Amino acid sequence: MTEFIAANYLFGDTASVPREDESLVERGIIDSTGILELIQFIESRFEVEVSESETVPENLGSISNLAKFIMSKQKPAPATTKWP
Amino acid sequence: MRNSPNTSDYLLANAAHDGVALVEAGVSYTYGQLRSAAGRLAAWLAELDLPPGSRVGLLGPNSLFWVAAYLAVMKLGHVAVPFSGKLTPDDVRRNAGLVTCAAVFADRRVLPRFAVAFEDDIGDIAVLTDEALRPGREPYWPGAIPAAPGADAVLMFTSGTTSRPKAVRVTHGNIQANTDSIITFLGLRGDDRVLVILPFFYCYGASLLHTHLRCGGRVVLCDSLVFPEAALDLLEREECTVLAGVPSSFQLLLRASTFAQRALPSLRLIQQAGGKLPPVLIAELVAAKPAAKLFVMYGQTEATARLSYLPPDKLSAKPGSIGNGIPGVRLRVLNGRGEQVAPGERGEIYATGANISPGYYEDPQGCAAKFTRHGLRTGDLATVDDDGDIFILDRRDDFIKSWGHRISSHEVEAAALRMEQLVCAAVIGVPDDEAGEAVTLFATARQAPW
Repeated sequence: MTEFIAANYLFGDTASVPREDESLVERGIIDSTGILELIQFIESRFEVEVSESETVPENLGSISNLAKFIMSKQKPAPATTKWP
Repeated sequence: MRNSPNTSDYLLANAAHDGVALVEAGVSYTYGQLRSAAGRLAAWLAELDLPPGSRVGLLGPNSLFWVAAYLAVMKLGHVAVPFSGKLTPDDVRRNAGLVTCAAVFADRRVLPRFAVAFEDDIGDIAVLTDEALRPGREPYWPGAIPAAPGADAVLMFTSGTTSRPKAVRVTHGNIQANTDSIITFLGLRGDDRVLVILPFFYCYGASLLHTHLRCGGRVVLCDSLVFPEAALDLLEREECTVLAGVPSSFQLLLRASTFAQRALPSLRLIQQAGGKLPPVLIAELVAAKPAAKLFVMYGQTEATARLSYLPPDKLSAKPGSIGNGIPGVRLRVLNGRGEQVAPGERGEIYATGANISPGYYEDPQGCAAKFTRHGLRTGDLATVDDDGDIFILDRRDDFIKSWGHRISSHEVEAAALRMEQLVCAAVIGVPDDEAGEAVTLFATARQAPW
């Protein structure tokens, strides 16, 4: 995630990557087009689907929120036992 | 020319003391609280004892602090200089230097990033932060002092593509003329609540602030549209009646959010300006919110903000038109000889009116090219129809010359956006040995798989 942010929004300047809990918007890292790139990256890299209603700061606003969100999406669905 | 009232007094004249002025991050501030916040900042600013007409920078996201600082600067007869938060510290330093800022109001959320911009070899610029809002200091708000005609209230940097930024002089008279006109043609009221997703350092964002304060309405701050769902939740929660955006705002809302699916019953008015929204998206917008009146408008920083509008009842008959001059503004489409073009002919839009800036700050060369004897030279090429309604073809500088054809980048972008899979599209001419310029399209695809 950090690598993507440095490469895609900061021209590779890893020193400027925000702290994990810092707001990516307040730090001026992502704007309204940047968020779409971020979503595309998450969807292809982590093989999850992000719905429109999930594009909120609680999920995508900071590196730590992103990590939590992606991990929760990747969690396998609770196993259901099917009897024949 | 007669004196105008001071713009800060003008903006706060019609509001009820306990009416809500601003909503920021879930907190409502009344006009009374806004007045005392502005008064406190004015007290700190007055202590610096700056000569009248000093330039004072503003840096930070839209907030109570930003608005209070803006009002304080103008009230004391100084000139507000809003800086874009998207600039680099070097850009801010250069822009502050260009207009010799004597002080700056800076939000502590962004100050660490920009502090270096205000340290100077000659002498540091005085920095006041939102700490100055703390209670304890007696607000200072002197009685009404009229502003001289032509006295600068604000210097607005244009977001133009030229290498040297230009600071547009916006006078007290300019702001008041444009504000009165916008309120009239939009029919804004004291019970309106506007969702502001545009920054106040941008003339369109500033005009939302001016018009709704002047009406005594409510300004609901939403930092940006980065999270469209959060913005729409806020619009719903605060029961906003007015939504204003630029083309990319509506592209996002229509193609990458739940805007169309939500009922949003409070919304009665939608404003679109800041570039041409392709007709296909105008149609989608009308279809998404048929109960809201959609105003398509046109403007420039050099005109304070707004120049023209298309009445909503003409939208379906005249897709793609910017209508004609707003009250108090005269727009003419002139050919190269300075004559008005006949319907169907191509020319350039020139504007006159009390909202037109007197010029760029200390830039006679830039002024001569833009502020002409025919009025403000907009740089937009257009045609008019038999009713005098104006259709913009493109920026004079945005035509692409490819294989001997003059191609409007707008037209190609509009065609590309007819594909629902795209959120936004931009077209440029890339130098090409054979074509002269090759038409090159950049596009952002919709997030969901299709």
